Amino acid sequence: MKILDLLTMSVNNLRRRKLRTLLTVLGVVIGTASIVVMVSLGIGLKEMQMELVSSYGSMTAIDVYCDVYSQQNSSEEPNYMKDETVEMIRRMPHVKSVTPLLSSYVIMMQGKYMANVSLVGVTREYLEGIPLGQGDLPPRGSQEMFMVAGNWVPQNFQNPKENNYYMMMNGENPNVDMMEKPVFVIFDTDAYYQSQNPSEDSSVKPPKKYLIPVAAMVDGGENNEWNEYCYNVYTDIDQLKAFLKRTFKKDPIPGQPTTKKGKPYNYFIYDNVKVFVDETDNVKQIQQAITDMGFQASSNTDWMEQTKQQSNMIQMVLGGIGAVSLFVAAIGIANTMMMSIYERTKEIGVMKVLGCDMGDIRNMFLVESGFIGLMGGTAGLILSFIISILINRFAGISQMMTGMEGDISRIPFWLAAASLGFAVAVGMAAGFFPALRAMRLSPLAAIRNE
Amino acid sequence: MKEAEKIIQVKNLYKIYKVGHTKVYALNGVDFSLNKGEFCAIVGPSGSGKSTLLNMLAGLEKPTKGQIVIAGTHIEKMTERQLVTFRREHVGFIFQSYNLIQTMNAVENVALPLTFRGVDKKTREEKAKKYLKLVGLEKQMKHMANEMSGGQQQRVGIARALAVDPQIIFADEPTGNLDSRTTMDVLKLMKQIVREEQQTLIMVTHDNHLASFADKQIHIVDGKITRIDEQTQQRAIGEYGE
Repeated sequence: MKILDLLTMSVNNLRRRKLRTLLTVLGVVIGTASIVVMVSLGIGLKEMQMELVSSYGSMTAIDVYCDVYSQQNSSEEPNYMKDETVEMIRRMPHVKSVTPLLSSYVIMMQGKYMANVSLVGVTREYLEGIPLGQGDLPPRGSQEMFMVAGNWVPQNFQNPKENNYYMMMNGENPNVDMMEKPVFVIFDTDAYYQSQNPSEDSSVKPPKKYLIPVAAMVDGGENNEWNEYCYNVYTDIDQLKAFLKRTFKKDPIPGQPTTKKGKPYNYFIYDNVKVFVDETDNVKQIQQAITDMGFQASSNTDWMEQTKQQSNMIQMVLGGIGAVSLFVAAIGIANTMMMSIYERTKEIGVMKVLGCDMGDIRNMFLVESGFIGLMGGTAGLILSFIISILINRFAGISQMMTGMEGDISRIPFWLAAASLGFAVAVGMAAGFFPALRAMRLSPLAAIRNE
Repeated sequence: MKEAEKIIQVKNLYKIYKVGHTKVYALNGVDFSLNKGEFCAIVGPSGSGKSTLLNMLAGLEKPTKGQIVIAGTHIEKMTERQLVTFRREHVGFIFQSYNLIQTMNAVENVALPLTFRGVDKKTREEKAKKYLKLVGLEKQMKHMANEMSGGQQQRVGIARALAVDPQIIFADEPTGNLDSRTTMDVLKLMKQIVREEQQTLIMVTHDNHLASFADKQIHIVDGKITRIDEQTQQRAIGEYGE
């Protein structure tokens, strides 16, 4: 039999019993729609959580810390992170870039306001990765020191001579503009405080103030939101090193460890290094390698993995609930097909007597039930898109449930395609045993005269 | 005179049903043969085994023992799939209750067995129209099955059996549901076409009178052939109700 003839016969058989076909299709519509909507909620939830995780920092970043106190071997030199360590990590496979974070706590001043800020020296690459709201980085190779200020830094400025508590309660912000007005930086904070509170040996000179331009501000979005760069001020690490050496000369730099004799090391020691890996899948491997070197490494991967597992479970539960109704629909299809076969016993017998191939009879019924699945799947998919739009329209629901913004119901292309294929497959699977039964019906039933 | 070609040979055919512990012999050793182009009637009272014999000749049932050779092929050992193919290629079938597909019109019904062969739509509809003309239904070609009288439906059934150019046509009580006038019309038509198209026709009937129109009558009682009558001279049709 030709495929076209087979299709025509099957479709004609469905058209013969419009109401029954419609009811069976309706079952598949509801089944498909419930699966698609449930899974789309699961996907939406998962993606929103992923977005939340990645808003806390890059997925491919590893934070490396050096906890000297946990290193028990006190007789030897502690295992510090220095430039050689950074080089070693940089040479690992899959590592895209590495930046040491050299933090130094400084005082910044503008007019009558001042703030304690952590000034972090990082590589140029890292600076270029910071999303900027205002201003631009100076061109590469520029020798002048510059700063990139976090979007929450201006709020840290206070007038030491005023009641700051009162100001904070009123929600007033100090009138600080880091970009437009000059910012002075004091590196030797100890000296500054000693000069401010003269004691008996008041021989301490007030330290030198440096005027360092703020080249750019970190992008805080419309509502000046939190981000991983918002508290700190960033600068180029080489320029910062040069500055610190010039300022402190032979004296120990605050924040840098010293030898047991209290002498400074002749190299810089970092307590935090950030590693960027090429792909998310490789993060775990690199993280392990760094841990093996004796440092503490952490990344968003751990958190993400947990979130992923959780969301997968939610998705499975939701999909399972949807699957139950499709299963019920499948029983409906099987029932309809069985009824159809009982009704058409004689017709099937006649066909067999007239020489219709057994495979063709089976295929005829499979096509029929598959077609019910296809129609139900298509209509169900359209219904799910409508429901999905409605759910997302009431954005309040999603915010109430997750506290996050964005569409909670998302139907990606693969879900649409898979659900359609699944509906057809379920239809055909439900029709399989009835079809086998039809195929095995005796042709004698046809010529039996009632 | 040239020996006529044997189209059907049946040797020592048995069909035994088991009912509980007792064996029922539906066919109890049947032997006969049939020439090409013959019109044969299998006659017997109900329960004599005549329908069983027809079913086995058409490959719808398997014999318990014995041989059936049709056009040189043994069909008693074929699987169900092979039998379906055999019927599709070699056999036409006329039913007592016509068995037209209710959702199809006359042309589609006649073309149905050709559909199973995979013949394309244009060819099979041409052929269906040709045979519908032959049985005198030019005006009913587009009628659905339930829009036709019994006699018309059976004519469609005859056209359907002829459309596949079969080597043998089986007819199971073809006039059983028709009144006596239509019975004569249909019988006349069958006999005429068999003669014109050089077809072999095997008809099962319980009516001795209808059987008397055949070239050969096989009388069967309790699963055994009691008598085979061969008619040399043609009996004119139209003597029904003498």
